[in-house]
Amino acid sequence: MAEHVDEMACLLYLEGQLERARAREVSAHTEACAGCRELLRALGSETKLLRRAMIEEDEPLPERLAALPGRSGPPLPWIWGAVLGLAATGVYGLYAGFLEPVIGRLDEIGFGGSDVVSMLIFQGAFWKGWQSMISLIQILAMVTMAVASVALGRKWLRRPSAMAVVLASFCALLALPGGASAAEVRHAQIYTLHKDEVVKNDLYVAAGRVRIDGTVDGDLVAAGESVDVDGHVTGDVIAFTKNLRISGKVDGSVRVFANTLVLSGAVGRNVTSFTEVLDQDSASQVNGGLTAFSGSISLDGKIGRDFLAFAKNTTLSGFIGGDMKLRGRALSIGSTAQIQGSANFTGKEPAEVSAQAKLGSPLVYKEYKEEPRRWASHHYGMQIVWSLGTLLFGLVVFLLWPGFARRVSGEAGNYGASFGLGALVLFGMPIAFGFALVTMIGIPLGIAVLMLWLVLLYCAQFAVGAIVGGWILGAAPAGDGWALAARMLLGVVAIRVVILVPHLGGLAHFAVFLWGMGAIALAVYKGFQRGTPAVASGPAAQTA
Amino acid sequence: MEGTKTKRMSAPGRIEPAEAIQRAQAGDAEAWGEIYRQCAPAIFRFCRRALPVREDAEDATTEIFMKVREKIGQYDPARSFSAWLYKVSANHCWDMLRRRKGRQDKETEDVAELPLAHPAPGQLERLIERSTSEEVRGALARLNARARMALVLRYYSEMNYDEIAEALGVPRGYVGVVLLRARQELRQALERPGALAAGGSR
Repeated sequence: MAEHVDEMACLLYLEGQLERARAREVSAHTEACAGCRELLRALGSETKLLRRAMIEEDEPLPERLAALPGRSGPPLPWIWGAVLGLAATGVYGLYAGFLEPVIGRLDEIGFGGSDVVSMLIFQGAFWKGWQSMISLIQILAMVTMAVASVALGRKWLRRPSAMAVVLASFCALLALPGGASAAEVRHAQIYTLHKDEVVKNDLYVAAGRVRIDGTVDGDLVAAGESVDVDGHVTGDVIAFTKNLRISGKVDGSVRVFANTLVLSGAVGRNVTSFTEVLDQDSASQVNGGLTAFSGSISLDGKIGRDFLAFAKNTTLSGFIGGDMKLRGRALSIGSTAQIQGSANFTGKEPAEVSAQAKLGSPLVYKEYKEEPRRWASHHYGMQIVWSLGTLLFGLVVFLLWPGFARRVSGEAGNYGASFGLGALVLFGMPIAFGFALVTMIGIPLGIAVLMLWLVLLYCAQFAVGAIVGGWILGAAPAGDGWALAARMLLGVVAIRVVILVPHLGGLAHFAVFLWGMGAIALAVYKGFQRGTPAVASGPAAQTA
Repeated sequence: MEGTKTKRMSAPGRIEPAEAIQRAQAGDAEAWGEIYRQCAPAIFRFCRRALPVREDAEDATTEIFMKVREKIGQYDPARSFSAWLYKVSANHCWDMLRRRKGRQDKETEDVAELPLAHPAPGQLERLIERSTSEEVRGALARLNARARMALVLRYYSEMNYDEIAEALGVPRGYVGVVLLRARQELRQALERPGALAAGGSR
């Protein structure tokens, strides 16, 4: 009892946090000890001072907080009617001023919006033989899920131990399918399967150079700079590579995402390719159909069934067992060419058809009518309506999600991060779109990504507008949604004027895309990090 | 048994607009106006104490009421409304502060190194004697985020130790240490005005 009570105990005693027995001890001690009693008293007056200092009404509620914020006021139906009207105008502006020209441009290079979809959905050949992709897709899906859940769960995963558990279980998960499918997985700088070697399994290989001279008794899934298949693959070949050369024999189908595809061997089933260049030698034979998205296609060999393609330039000198359906700029059919079924070509220039070519039925040529230049075909009045629509759309977005808008404009002030992330998003999302397309099941996802990307691209100007407006008028007072929106409007008008400047305008436009997209992405990312309601309004703001 | 009922009622903004809340939960917009009028001054002052920048406090007040409006369904009318309101406010402000600072100061920081010195009671008494409320508020604004938050939650919102532990994400046993440490820092700040950098990065 002679021991003095320390300050901690005194505080806890005052705050009523001590256990009964300990409190009694402290109480007894302070009755006897003047020093401790004094400390207790001092702490008590400190508490009082703290309370008083905090509770005192030293400043009145600021003017702008006098009324309930946000969607507070009595809900006026006409306001909502007007807002919806504005939003509708804005959406129309988005479509007419932005999406339509983009679709138009896609059309110009032969990727008509509706045509791609209808072709993918209605052409049966496209769907055959994809079973082997499923295991790959499963892995991709699982990785994506894991990354997404780690990203979402970050808040709860701060502790390293929790993180370790998650990572460990993730690794365990990854190990499972590998064991189940018992596939061969290879990773090397240069991978060669020698002539007399046989892999009695599916082979997954990632290497700088992949050379298959031997036999793969299963599917071959390869990623690398160059992939050469000289040997024999009894299943499908799926490749992500710069150059793919098939000079051996593939019993199944070939799916490829590559810069250059050279076919000089035999393919038992179908070929689907997304390539810049597709070259088929005269010795090559594809028993099934060929579906291709390419810059240029040159066919000298044999295609057993239909040939479907979107390609800028096509040269046909080989044999096609089924129908030909082609969209592109130019088509040339050589003297050695032969088409058993019907032949359709939609393009800018009429096809050059050699008189010696053997066609089952005459080539049906449809001229691709380039829509008259959008800018010339509409009155300036419509232009103004669209611009107003864009501004109104931005205004609605800013007023509906003021918090998010403010954060975005805040992030836009973070130039380096914005531009960096902007570049990632600007180029990354189309790549994601491409991957989603290659893994057929991801088509809806891919299209959603593309749409989101376009909307982001459109919204970039609002983000940049807000900060440019801030430069002109000075930063918006905090919490004032209208002030920020007004700055955004002014900024967007300024941006549009700058974009009109020849040469420099294009560069500025690109910078706006990078900067704005980066700022939006950064704000969304930080929203996820915090897990506050901003997240809910973030993506919604972009899909509005 | 701290924070008795009478104490709570005398604290600012300890208002229980039960009837208005009922109407608000049923979706009555006017009831919101009423709740806001009654509670906004106290919540604004809370934010003003918790966040050193005035604009932040204004923004936070707005955001808190928007949040409250969204979450009103989660409020259990059997419990104290203002306690719930302060909980939402505390989480919001604490989130804001943490976002600002990043994660520089770790969760449990240096509480373990607390020097449990026996202060000279007379000296402390004199310091308290000569310090005005205004000086205390000034010193408070210069404390580090957690110290300030702990003091505000305890002596403005009258939260109990469990509630503070939850709001700040510290073990309950640390709350007393955090509070004592905060008081010691506050005393330092009072003794040497301007000695602590804003935000208290030490």
